[in-house]
Amino acid sequence: MKLKIGNLTVKKVCLGTENAFTNGVLTIDKEAAITYLRECDDHITALDIVIANPGDDTRIVPVIEVIEPRCRVDGRTLFPGVTGDVVPAGEGELKALKGCCVTVVGKCWGSFGDGVIDMGGEGAKHTYWSKLINICLVGDTDEEFERHEQQKCNHALRWAGHRFAEYLGGIVKGMEAESFEAYEYAPVSARAAEQNGLPNVALVLQPQSQMEALGYNDLWYGWDMNKYLPTFVSPTEVLDGALISGSFMPASSKWSTYEMQNFPTIKELFAEDGKSLNFTGVILSMLNVALEQKERAAIMVANMAKNLGVDYAIVTEEGYGNPDADYVRCQVALEDVGVPVVGISNECTGRDGFSQPLVTLDAKLNALVSTGNVSELSDLPACKTVIGCLEALNRDGMSGSWGYDEKLGKSARDDGSVIMEDNNWFCGDHISGFSVKTMIEY
Amino acid sequence: MKKVICYVNQFFAGIGGEDKADQAPYIVEGCIGPVVAIEAALEDAKVTHTVVCGDNFMGSQTQEALERIMDMLKDKDFDLFIAGPAFQAGRYGVACGNVCKAVEAQFENVLVLTSMNEENPGVDMFKKDVIIFKGGKGAVKMRQDVKVMVDFANKLLAGGTNEGAEAEGYFPRGCRHEKYLADKRENTAAYRGVQMLIKKMNKQPYQTELVIPEKEVVPIAPAIKDLKKAVIALVTTGGIVPVENPDRIQSASATRWGSYDVTGMDRLEGNIFKTIHAGFDPAAANADPNVIVPLDAMRAYEKAGKFGRLHDRFYSTVGTGTTEAEARRMAQEIIPQLVADGVTAVVLGST
Repeated sequence: MKLKIGNLTVKKVCLGTENAFTNGVLTIDKEAAITYLRECDDHITALDIVIANPGDDTRIVPVIEVIEPRCRVDGRTLFPGVTGDVVPAGEGELKALKGCCVTVVGKCWGSFGDGVIDMGGEGAKHTYWSKLINICLVGDTDEEFERHEQQKCNHALRWAGHRFAEYLGGIVKGMEAESFEAYEYAPVSARAAEQNGLPNVALVLQPQSQMEALGYNDLWYGWDMNKYLPTFVSPTEVLDGALISGSFMPASSKWSTYEMQNFPTIKELFAEDGKSLNFTGVILSMLNVALEQKERAAIMVANMAKNLGVDYAIVTEEGYGNPDADYVRCQVALEDVGVPVVGISNECTGRDGFSQPLVTLDAKLNALVSTGNVSELSDLPACKTVIGCLEALNRDGMSGSWGYDEKLGKSARDDGSVIMEDNNWFCGDHISGFSVKTMIEY
Repeated sequence: MKKVICYVNQFFAGIGGEDKADQAPYIVEGCIGPVVAIEAALEDAKVTHTVVCGDNFMGSQTQEALERIMDMLKDKDFDLFIAGPAFQAGRYGVACGNVCKAVEAQFENVLVLTSMNEENPGVDMFKKDVIIFKGGKGAVKMRQDVKVMVDFANKLLAGGTNEGAEAEGYFPRGCRHEKYLADKRENTAAYRGVQMLIKKMNKQPYQTELVIPEKEVVPIAPAIKDLKKAVIALVTTGGIVPVENPDRIQSASATRWGSYDVTGMDRLEGNIFKTIHAGFDPAAANADPNVIVPLDAMRAYEKAGKFGRLHDRFYSTVGTGTTEAEARRMAQEIIPQLVADGVTAVVLGST
C-alpha cells in the first residue's frame, strides 16, 4: 500500500465570504460552512466558527475532538464509515492542511472525556494543540437524552467536526502541495531480501473501547471497537482515517483523530523501516473491560505476532487505569512468546507522586516510555478569552476537574482562573507519541 | 538571608561517644562540629542553631525526644533543616530520619535534608518521607557529603528547581512526577520509544523510564495434611495489642512486634485489647478485636475438634507503612519462636 500526503502549510486562517487558500492564508466562508454542517445534521441547534492562534490568551473548554483538515484527491471519503460509505483506506493520495486543526468545542455542555486547551501562557505547554491554529467549531445540539449525562456520545458535534475537516480539506483539493510525505507499506510476505533480513517489528495499538454501550468508543471503518477483536492492519490505514477517536476516556489519555491521522510512533517506525528494522505492520487491538476479554485480546495479539514472525514490538494504550491491565498483559504475553517489547503510556502516580504508576505491574516490563502523570495539578490564571464554557469544568463531570473540593475549592474560579488535574488537558499526555514529557523520581 | 537549623548526635557534637549516648536533646546557638562545614558551604544562609541528642536517647525514647525537639523549634524561624550526615552509623541514621520526618510534618515551608550511606538502615526506613542524600561510609567523606547536600540547598533556597533524585544525588523515594523535556523530535515519546526498541534489539544498554521493582514472591505453603494434629498460631499486622501497648509497637512504619498470652480466653475483649494501627478506622476493631485476630472463631473450631490446638500466644505488629525489609526481619525473629513452641501452621490476618 502506498499513501501519499500532499502538505500545504496554513499560516493564517480568516473567516470571510469565500473559501480560498492563497499564500498560506486559508479563508473560510463561515456562513456557507455552518449552513452545510447544519444541513448534514438537524440535531445541531447552534454552531459557530472561532479562530484561536498560538500564543493567544485563550482557553478552550470543553474540547471534544481535534482533527486535521484533509481531503482525498480521488474523492473517496476521508473517514470511511463515518463521513461517508465504508470504502478502502490506506492507499492513494491525500491533501492535508498542516499547522492547523479543527477543534470541536461544546458551546454549553461538556462531558467526562472532554478537555482543555490553553493557547498561550503557562498552560500552552500542556498540549500539542497550542502550536496549531485551532479552527474551533463551537456548537450545541438537541441530544437531550444525554444533556446532563457525564458520559456523552457527542455524536452530532463529533461528526460535524469530521465533516468540517473534510470540507476544509476540499478547499485545496486541486491545488499543488508544497511537500509530500510518502508511506510505502509492502506486502509482508513479498518484501525485498535486504528488508526481510532486518528484525521484524510490529506496533500494537490499543485504542479505546471500554464503553459497553455503543456510540462512545473509537471506530474502525465506522465499526465500534467494543465489538471487535485484534486484527492485523496496515499502518497506512490508520494514517488514512480508518480509525477515529471516541468520546470516552479522561482527556489527557485520549488519542484524538488528529493523532491517529499523524500517529507519531507510526511515523518514527516508518523512518527506521528498511534501515534498522522491518516494519511488519500494526496489530490493532482494543481495551475492553472484562478480564476474559483482556486475556483473549492478549492471546490473539501474541499469536498474531508469533505467526507473522514478529521479532520485536511496541505496545501503546489509549488510556490509563483499567486499560493498564491490557497494556501490561499484552506486553507480558508478547515477552512470553519471545517477542521483546517497548511500552509507551502515561502513569497515574497521584498528586503526591507516591501512588503505584500503573494499576498492575510485572517485572517483565523492562522497557517503558512514560508520557506524563494524569494526577498532576495545574493552577493557572484566567485567560482573556474563553472559547466554549468554563463552567463545564465545575458542572459536567470532566475527568480532571470538580465543582467542590474542601481544600482546593472549585476548578473554575469566579475570577476565571482554574485549578485542575492533568487529566483535563485534551490529549495532554500525548501517548500517541507527541509527548515531550517523561516521569522521574523526585 | 535564610536561616538554618542543624541536628547532630552526641559524637559529632563532641561531647562523647557511647558513654554520652543517653544525652537528652538540647539546643545551642550557632554551629557545632560538622555544622561548621555546613555553614561554610551555605551561600545566602546562616546556621542559627544546632540541636544535639544522644543516639540512645533518641532510639529508646523516640517520642519523648521528638516532642522535646519540636518544642525547642516551635518558636524558631528557619527555612532549612539539615540532619547529619550520618554515613553508615545505624542509630544516628535512624535518629536523623526520625527528626527530619518530624520537622517535615510540623513545619510546612522548611526544606528538610539529611545524608546517609546506602548501608544505613535509616535509608530504607525514611527515604520515602525525607530527602536523603547518598553519602559515604564514614566521616572521611564529610566534606563531599556536605557539599552535595548544601549545593542542593543553596539552589533551592535561591528559587532553583529540583532536577530529581538521580540528577541531584539523593535516594529515589518512589515519588514520581512529570518532567518536561526540550520541545524537539528527539524528545518525543514516539522517538524515545522507537530508539529504546532499537537499543533493546541490538542488546545495547537503555534506560527504562519506569523501573518496575522485582517482586519477591513468597510461595504459598503446601496444604496441611492432617488438621487434627495442627498447632495453629494467630499472627496479625492489624496492630491488636493489650490496651497499654506494652511493647510500644508503632502505629505506622512499625519496627517492633509483640506476642500476647491468650490462655483460657475464648475471645479478645475490647477493654483488654485494642488496635494501634493508624491505617484504618479503629472503631470496629476496638469494639471487637476478634474482627482482626479471630480468637473467638478459632476457639469454636478448636472445641469442635477441627484442628489440634490453638497456640497460647498471638503475635502482632502494624503493617501500614512498614517497609518490606522491616517486615522480613520481624518475621525472621518471630518464626523461630513459633517453631520452638511446636506451631505447625499460622493464620496470618491482615487489614
